[in-house]
Amino acid sequence: MNVVETSGLTKRFGDRVAVDAVDLHIPRGCAFGYLGPNGAGKTTLIRMLLGLTGVTAGTMQLLGRPVPAERSKALARVGAIVEEPRFHGHLTGRENLRVIAAARNPEAHERIDGALARVGLSARADERVKGYSQGMRQRLGVARSLLADPELLILDEPTNGLDPGGIHEFRVMIRAFVAEGRTVLLSSHLLDEVEKICDQVAIVDRGRVALRGSIAELARGGEQTILVATSDDERALAIVGGHRAVESAANDPSGVRVTLRPDVEADDAAGDIGRRLVLAGLAIRRFEPARVSLEQRFLEITSRMEVAA
Amino acid sequence: MNTTAITAELPRPRRRTSMWPRLVSAELLKVRKRRGLVISALVLTVAPMILAYTVLVGLHASDPVKNGPAGGTENFVGSMSVLWGLCVVAAILVGATIGTGDLGAGVFRELVVTGRSRLALFAARVPAGLALLLPIVGMAFAITAAASIVLAGSKQAGWVRVGPGAREFKLGDVAPSASLLIESAGWLMLVTALTFLLALGVASLLGSRGTSIGILLGWWLVVMPLLLTFEPLGSVRKGLSWAAIEELAPDTVLEPTAPMSRATAVTVLLAWTAAPLALGAWRTCTRDA
Repeated sequence: MNVVETSGLTKRFGDRVAVDAVDLHIPRGCAFGYLGPNGAGKTTLIRMLLGLTGVTAGTMQLLGRPVPAERSKALARVGAIVEEPRFHGHLTGRENLRVIAAARNPEAHERIDGALARVGLSARADERVKGYSQGMRQRLGVARSLLADPELLILDEPTNGLDPGGIHEFRVMIRAFVAEGRTVLLSSHLLDEVEKICDQVAIVDRGRVALRGSIAELARGGEQTILVATSDDERALAIVGGHRAVESAANDPSGVRVTLRPDVEADDAAGDIGRRLVLAGLAIRRFEPARVSLEQRFLEITSRMEVAA
Repeated sequence: MNTTAITAELPRPRRRTSMWPRLVSAELLKVRKRRGLVISALVLTVAPMILAYTVLVGLHASDPVKNGPAGGTENFVGSMSVLWGLCVVAAILVGATIGTGDLGAGVFRELVVTGRSRLALFAARVPAGLALLLPIVGMAFAITAAASIVLAGSKQAGWVRVGPGAREFKLGDVAPSASLLIESAGWLMLVTALTFLLALGVASLLGSRGTSIGILLGWWLVVMPLLLTFEPLGSVRKGLSWAAIEELAPDTVLEPTAPMSRATAVTVLLAWTAAPLALGAWRTCTRDA
């Protein structure tokens, strides 16, 4: 079952389309990255899912329940951090959780101590939140979202303002949630973060989902590139440049960067290129597929969309 | 942060309580922990009464012939005519703070994402605010009443007119009568509660504490008194909540500027309360969180 289903979800602010006919299907038990540059409509989509703002068009379901028709039941098992987590500064961390627990089911009160312990805030829970650091607030935000014992956690830019140590802890925690069978929807503009945390990703720009799939699938969908270093890179460049499977070849600081045509079978083409280089008497020092990072794919997609726009 | 499953650490819930008392309790927690607000409400209501009676006791002690007893009906009525205005200001402060507290702190959206009805979130503010405000006002009234009784001094003969245009009453009842005390207490609580609800509604509608307080204080302390004294308005003045409050006040405390029936006064006050509350509730339910 998909925990999040949207169909044609659209949000307009006047003439501006913030979210443009988004269809999302997020399966249970995965970390799903909603990746896009600032202003791509990520937060707006999350705000619509959570009922924080109205929907212009489209339908959505959370945990199998239609929203907003069954919003209350749907959100009962959803935890969320939207943008920067906010609290009553004059209350302690524990009191802030009590305030939210009061709006949830009675069991939420029983979860306060466990949630505080889980995010490592038990010792500071009775201090006023206005004295908390950014990282502590972020942890308290996670503790607050755990009060729902959530099947679905929606985290909007959750590592903003965290130091490297805090970011690492956060990643570990999110993976632990997924290991427990929870589903995490993580919105971020940080490619590295999504790549390290998420199993699946949707790349969004200008309110539209441009591409979706597993991280590996998306990376595979990019250019097929081989890095080659030989005893004579100039000759190597001439040899591979004339190969029928090669779209382009160019000098690279580490040798020759060979980009294959998108319609060829990469493994066969690479084998043939390697064989020709060896037959030409060149000593091959390096012959490896260039790893296409999600970042490259992301930039490729968003810049393509920019050109189209 | 450790990564132990939270569910594994949780004890089984011992008992279930309904949502409403928990919501109200949480609202009360938020507001009673605002030390500045609580102190302001106390300073506005309790402190002036303590100060006033302390001064009156001092004056009486320094010159008992020139200055009568600190207590008694006359001073009680005088105190009440000041206290109700102070209670209005306190109610505006508390109402505006509760009406905008969650929005101002950015916590409103965190409450909305729990799935709880926005109307329930709004409604919980009403009993919570009253639970904070009415005991404070009650304390101020209790001090006033107690001082009026305890410090009433010896009986005096004769009749006296107390307050501007108020009815004559017999000063043989040196201490305020039980009926006057009960009537005054009820009226004071009513004025405070209705003003609080008005402020809560306006603040929830506007979403800004400062703006709400400014508008409400200006309306209560400047605009309404001016309109009330503007005779060409005639019976239109009966539509002002101040006029209705005067009508419902104990006779010895305030004289009605624009006399009306008690039923009309109640209707006017209900309208002044219900309309802003409805608007505040509507805005709470419809605003982007």
